[in-house]
Amino acid sequence: MEALAVALEASPLGVWARGSNLAYPVANLIHLLGLVMLIGGIGVLDLRLAGAFRRLPVEALWRYLLPMGVAGLVLLVPAGLVLFAADASSLVVSTVFRWKVALIVLALANAGAYHLLWRKRLGRWDVDPPLGGRIMAAGSLSLWLLVAGLGRWIAYA
Amino acid sequence: MTLHKSLASAIALAVLIPGAALAHHGWSSYDAEKTLTVTGPLIDVAWRNPHGEAKIKHAGKTWDVILAPVARMEARGLTEAMITNGKPVKLEGYPRKDGVAEMRIERVTVDGKTVELR
Repeated sequence: MEALAVALEASPLGVWARGSNLAYPVANLIHLLGLVMLIGGIGVLDLRLAGAFRRLPVEALWRYLLPMGVAGLVLLVPAGLVLFAADASSLVVSTVFRWKVALIVLALANAGAYHLLWRKRLGRWDVDPPLGGRIMAAGSLSLWLLVAGLGRWIAYA
Repeated sequence: MTLHKSLASAIALAVLIPGAALAHHGWSSYDAEKTLTVTGPLIDVAWRNPHGEAKIKHAGKTWDVILAPVARMEARGLTEAMITNGKPVKLEGYPRKDGVAEMRIERVTVDGKTVELR
């Protein structure tokens, strides 16, 4: 994996990410926009699924906020790849970065499991939210916030 | 592993692994009460984002020199051609609070021109 990171850092993408005046700062902005959309979408949906804002209908929120969160991820991943390419060999050995990636995998697995376990129950969520689903939603929000926090922490650790 | 431990090991890793250029950013890790002024030739200049880097010899050690983002340096009038390897410069900046030989640069004087990097 470390050899792969060294190769990515030396690749044209890595050279461009470091060398261009705009590549890094613009990738940073897009990464931040994606984060805002992810937490703004999934985070608010998670709060509702966990039990907050009970006047808001769960199915409608799911329909509109989930795509926003997914769009956020679609921005986050390629922008993150550019930021990663600039410093890949140092990042790949950074404990904070490794935790961040591990928690991203966990958060995505949690989201996948959520669909499998609870998607069919959404219609009845407003009257009868299952405890397991509420806990997983709270876990989802916590995980994404931790991921965001660790991402910011990389530069200071 | 707790977050606290993982952060501590991240710091340890960054210090131990040569070339791990991540253990900085932000002004809070640097001691602004202790201005360092170092004059000498620059070594290993990297004109890059998220910030330029170089090394310089000072007080028997080789210091890591943390510059600014490329676009900011150019906007302030410092170009890649002005700080090539071996170029004598005057650096004013702050050392890290934890004693690591690394300084964050407040201003650079090169070719008789002073450029503010903050």
